[in-house]
Amino acid sequence: MRIFRIINSGLIAALTATAAVRADGVFDVAVRGQATAATGHWGFVAPVLPVPPRVKNIRWIRNPIDRFVLERLERDGVDPSPEADRPALLRRLCLDLTGLPPTPDQARTFLSDHRDGAYERLVDELLASPHFGERWGRHWLDLARYADTSGYQIDRVRPHAWLYRDWVIDSFNRDEPFDQFTLEQIAGDLLPQESQTKKLEPLIAAGLHRLTLMNHEDGVDAEEFRCKARVDRVDTTATVWLGLTIGCAECHNHKFDPISQREFYQLYAFFNNADEVDIPAPRPDDPARQEKERKQWDEAEAQLRAAFDSQRTNETRRAELKKQLARHRRSQPRPHDTAIMSFRESTNAPRARIHVRGDFLRPGDDVLAGTPAILHPLVPRGTRGADRLDLARWLVDPANPLTARVAVNQTWLHLFGRGLVSTSNDFGKRGEPPSHPALLDWLAVLFMTSTNASSMGPAPLPSLAWSRKSLIRLIVNSATYRQSSRLRPDLAETDPFNILLARQGRFRVESEIIRDLQLSCAGLLNEDVGGAPFRPFMPDDIRKLGTAGAFSWDNSTGSDLYRRGLYIFSQRTVPYPTAMTFDQADSCESCPQRERSTTPLQALTLMNHGLFAECARSLARRITAFPGRGPREKIGAAFQLCLSRSPSRGELNRLGQLFADELAASPAPSCSAAQEKAYAQIAQVLLNLDEFLTRE
Amino acid sequence: MSPEEIVQLTRRDFLVSATRGAGGVALASLLGADGLLASPNPVPGAAPLRPHFQPRAKACIFLYMEGGVSQVDLFDPKPKLNELHGQKLPESMTRNVRFAFLQKDTAVLLGTPHRFRRCGRSGIEISEMLPNIGSCADEIAFIRSMHTEAFNHHPGELLMYTGSQLLGRPSIGSWIAYALGSETKNLPDYVVLTAGRVPSGGNTMFGAGFLPSRHAGVLFRNQGEAVLDLNNPPGITAEMRHRGLDALADLNRMRQKVVGDPEIASRIASYELAARMQVAAPELMDFSGESAATLDAYGVHRDGAGFHTSRGGGPETFSTFAKNCLLARRMVERGVRFVGIHHASWDHHNELDNDLAFNCRVTDQPVGALLKDLKQRGLLDDTLVVWASEFGRTPLGENRPGFSKVTGRDHHPFAFTTWMAGGGVRGGQVIGETDELGWGIAKDPVHVNDFHATQLHLFGLDHERLTYRFQSRDFRLTDVAGKVVTGLLA
Repeated sequence: MRIFRIINSGLIAALTATAAVRADGVFDVAVRGQATAATGHWGFVAPVLPVPPRVKNIRWIRNPIDRFVLERLERDGVDPSPEADRPALLRRLCLDLTGLPPTPDQARTFLSDHRDGAYERLVDELLASPHFGERWGRHWLDLARYADTSGYQIDRVRPHAWLYRDWVIDSFNRDEPFDQFTLEQIAGDLLPQESQTKKLEPLIAAGLHRLTLMNHEDGVDAEEFRCKARVDRVDTTATVWLGLTIGCAECHNHKFDPISQREFYQLYAFFNNADEVDIPAPRPDDPARQEKERKQWDEAEAQLRAAFDSQRTNETRRAELKKQLARHRRSQPRPHDTAIMSFRESTNAPRARIHVRGDFLRPGDDVLAGTPAILHPLVPRGTRGADRLDLARWLVDPANPLTARVAVNQTWLHLFGRGLVSTSNDFGKRGEPPSHPALLDWLAVLFMTSTNASSMGPAPLPSLAWSRKSLIRLIVNSATYRQSSRLRPDLAETDPFNILLARQGRFRVESEIIRDLQLSCAGLLNEDVGGAPFRPFMPDDIRKLGTAGAFSWDNSTGSDLYRRGLYIFSQRTVPYPTAMTFDQADSCESCPQRERSTTPLQALTLMNHGLFAECARSLARRITAFPGRGPREKIGAAFQLCLSRSPSRGELNRLGQLFADELAASPAPSCSAAQEKAYAQIAQVLLNLDEFLTRE
Repeated sequence: MSPEEIVQLTRRDFLVSATRGAGGVALASLLGADGLLASPNPVPGAAPLRPHFQPRAKACIFLYMEGGVSQVDLFDPKPKLNELHGQKLPESMTRNVRFAFLQKDTAVLLGTPHRFRRCGRSGIEISEMLPNIGSCADEIAFIRSMHTEAFNHHPGELLMYTGSQLLGRPSIGSWIAYALGSETKNLPDYVVLTAGRVPSGGNTMFGAGFLPSRHAGVLFRNQGEAVLDLNNPPGITAEMRHRGLDALADLNRMRQKVVGDPEIASRIASYELAARMQVAAPELMDFSGESAATLDAYGVHRDGAGFHTSRGGGPETFSTFAKNCLLARRMVERGVRFVGIHHASWDHHNELDNDLAFNCRVTDQPVGALLKDLKQRGLLDDTLVVWASEFGRTPLGENRPGFSKVTGRDHHPFAFTTWMAGGGVRGGQVIGETDELGWGIAKDPVHVNDFHATQLHLFGLDHERLTYRFQSRDFRLTDVAGKVVTGLLA
C-alpha cells in the first residue's frame, strides 16, 4: 500500500492537479474564519463541521457521506458505480468487520432476507460479534507495535504482553469511546479510580508504551535503551494520534513541520517520569478456560505418572519421565500468575534534558513537559506542571485538529483500502492533502461530538460521541461503501487508484486473514477469543535464527494450532515467516499502513505450506460429505462456501473438467479415495483463487 | 484499450513526473525492471531501471563474520602492541570510553601470538592464519580504518546490515535488490545462507524493513527444501500440480474479465514464477555438475573432525560454509543480485587462540577458493565480494570480573578492518591506518555509512539519491551521512 501512496502522490500532481486545487477550495470554505495564516497548513487548524453539499442525483444518497463523494464526482462528470450484488456485499462486510468469511447460516439468512433493512441488520449483527474486536483490535495492534518479546539479541519473552492485546480486543467489542480508550493507554495508571478495589483494565491499557523494544544483551548500557524506549513512546504517540512523524526532531529541528528539537524533548519529558512496573494480577481468563487448562494439566500429569509407575518402563525411560514430570509440575496452571506491564509516576525522576544530536551521553538544556506550540494549548489540571494524564487529555481535546481526523482516516483506510488522506501516517506538510477534505472534517467533527448534533444542520445528524462502532456503521451504510469494486474501463483510465471513490477498493486480505479464511472454509478454525498466544509449527533451522539459536519455540499442539492468525506468538527477532511473507507488520515500530505485495513466495506458501495443504485436504472431506447427487453439485457448493457466490457456468465447467482429469489420471477412479483426492485438487484451487484471497 | 494498457500508460506519464522528485529512481524500479510483480498493479515488459551512473558491479557476495573479528590478530599488524604486551594503556586513551565488559583500571595490552606474512605483489601483511585469503591479496582492498558507534552486537550488526542501529530497517541487500531488481526470473533477488552459529539478531537482519517485502533476504537452507515450502506437499505429484495450476490460472483469468483488476495478472504471474523456482532451486543446489577439483578447492567435503570451538558451530560447519561459498558463485552465475553468507561467532571474549584458529580454518579456504573461482570464470570483474564484521576487538586483553585469566578481547568499535574485492574495487591496497597500538585511527577513517556509500557507488547508485519515502521521510541506507571512499575504486 505504501507504493500505492507514492503513486497516488505523483498521480495527484501529474494528472489531477486541477481537481486537487478545487478540493482545497472546498476545504477553504469549510475553515473560513480560522486562523490559517499562522500555520499555513490545513492539518494544524481544527476542523469545523461543514454542511453536506447539494448534489443532483439525490436518489443515490443513503447518508451524508454520499453527498460529499457524489458532489466531487458530479463536478468531474464521473458516475458512481452501482451497488455491489448481495453476495459481494455479504462477503465484503464479513471480511471488513470480522475478518471471517460468511458462515453458511449467515449467507442463507442474508441472501433470503428481502425485507427492508436486511443489510443494516447484517451490519449490526457483525458489529456485535466478538470477532469484530479481533478484526479491528489487530489494526490497532499494528499501530501499537505489539509483540510478545522484547526484541534485540536476547529477545526476551514477555509472557503477559497478551493482556494488553486482549484489552484492546475487548475495548473494541464493548465499544469503549475512543477518548477513554486514549486516556487509558497514555495514562491509565494516573486515572482517578472511584472505588476501593482498583480496576486493573486501565493499568493493562497503559501497557501500550511497555511494548517498546529493550536490549538485554550482555554489556549494554541500560540507560541508553531506556532513552531509546522513551523516544519511541514519543514517536509512536505522535504517529498514532497526531499522524505526525516527529522522530527526526530527536536529533534536530523538524525540517518540514514546525516541531523543534526542544518540543520533541518536551514531549519526551512526559515519559521521563514514567517508571516501568510489573503488577502481579490474577489471570483475566474466564473460569471455563481456567477449568479447561487445569483439566488438561491433570490429564497430562496422570499420563506421565502412569507411564512412570508402569512395570514395563525401563530405567532410562523412567529417568527421562522423571525429568518430564518435574518440568510439567513447573508449568502447573496458576490462577494468579500474571504480571501487568504498566507504569507508575516516578517520585524522584531525573530532570528531562535535551539530548544533543540525539545522543543520550550529551545532555543539553533542561526541559519541562509540554506540547508543540503549533497545536492547541495544553491545559494542565494542577499547578505543578503537566503529567501524562494532561497529555492524554490534550490528545482528545476537541480543540485538537489532528486526533479525530487521524482516527477517522484510519477507519476509512480499512474500509476502502485507502485513506481520505492517502499518507495515513503523515498529516503534516509533507503528507498528501485529503482527497475529500470536507468529508474528512465532517466525520472528524461528528466523531468528537458528544451532544446531539442535529441542531447543526437541516437534516438530523448522527452523534458519534467517539464511538468507533457508530463511525463504522455510518460508513458501511453509505452508498459509497456499498458500490461495486469492479474497475470500470472509464475509471481505469481516469482514476486507476480510486481517489475519487467512484467504486469500492479491491485488495488482498492481510496475512492473518488469509490464514483465518483457509481454516474457516476447511472447517478447522478454532474460534476462541483471547488468551495466551500460541506457537505454530516452525522449522528448526528457522527457529534457530533467533537469539543465537538459544530461544525456545515449543510448537503448540491440538486445537491451539487452529486459532486465528492474530494469536500467533510474535517473536520480534524471528517473526513467523509464513506471516511475514504476506506483509504482516513487523512490530518494531508503529505501522499505520501495511504493505500489500504479490510474490512467488506467497504462491509457494499457499500451495505447499503444511497448514494450507491440510486445509485443502480438510475441505476435500467436507466436499465429499456435502449432500448432492454428483460432483458438479458438490463442487458448486464448495465454490459457494469459499466465495459466497455461485460459480458461473464457465467456472463450474472448468472445475468439473479438472475433477474429471484427476479421476482419469487415477488408477482406480471409482474408489472413494480417488474421489476425495480429486476433491482435494478442487479444494486447493479454490483456496488459491485470487478472489478467495481478495476482499472485493 | 484494455485496463492493463491504460494503467501502463498512466504509469509511464507518472514516471515522467515522479522522477523529478526524490525517490523517483527507486520508484521506477518498482514499476519497471522486475516490476512484473510490483504492487499494486504489474506492468509486464516495462523498461528496466537504469542505475544513476555506469555500474561496476552487478552482483554482491556479502561475507558477514558476526561477533567482532580481531583485527590485530588477522589484518592489522602492530609490532608495538607485542612490544608493550602486559602494560597498561595511558589513562588519557581510555578516558570517556565505554566497554562492554572490560575493567579499564586494570586492563593490560595483549599482544598477538600470530605472525604476519607479506602477500602477493602488493606485499600486504596478513596473518599466517589466513593463507588462502592472503594469496588473493592483490585482488583485495583492505580497510584498516573502519569505525562504528555501536558497541553491542545486535545494534552493531544492524548498523552493518541496514545502516541504522534500529531494528526494522531494510538491509543493504534489500536496498540493492529494490534499486536494481533481479537478473533472474527464477530465483529471489536476495538470498541468505548461514553456517555455524546463526545470527544473534535473527532474520530481521535480512529484512526488507519498509521496502516491499519481496526484497527481503530469502533464506536458502542446507538440508531439506532449499526454500521454505518449496516442495509440493506429500501426495501431490508434479502432474497433479500442473493440472491444478492450469485450472487456477484459467479461473483467475475468468475473474479478471469480470472485475477488470490488473492485480489478478500479477497474481497469475506469481504462480508461474513459483513453479519456475521449484525447478530452478534444486538445480542450483545440485553440485553434480561441479568438477572434483572445484569441490576440493572450496573444501566441500572437509569434515572438520578434531576441531572444536566453544562458540557454536560443530565440525559440520567446515562443509556447510564451503558449500555456501560455492552456492554463492552458482547463484551469482544465475543472476541473483545479492548473496549474504553469514558465519558466527567471532565474539572472542575468551579462548581467543583456539576459537580464532577454528574460525580461520572454517572460512579461509572456501573464501580464497571463491575469489579465485570467480576470477577464473571472469565473474570477479562485476561481482563485489565484501567481508565484514560489526566491530573489531580491543588491543587490551579482556579482564572481565569472573574470568580467571585473560584469554580474549572485548568489543572495539573505534578501529577495525573490513575488506572488499572485485566489482570495480582496486585490489592490492590498504585504505587507512591505525595508531601504533591499533587503538584509534591515524589516517583516513571509514565509517559504516561510508562503507555502504561505496558499495552502492560500485552498483552505479548514488547513496544520496537512492531513497524511499516512509513515514514522510526519505530514508537512505546511509541515513544522513556517508562519503564514497574513492581510493577504493579501480
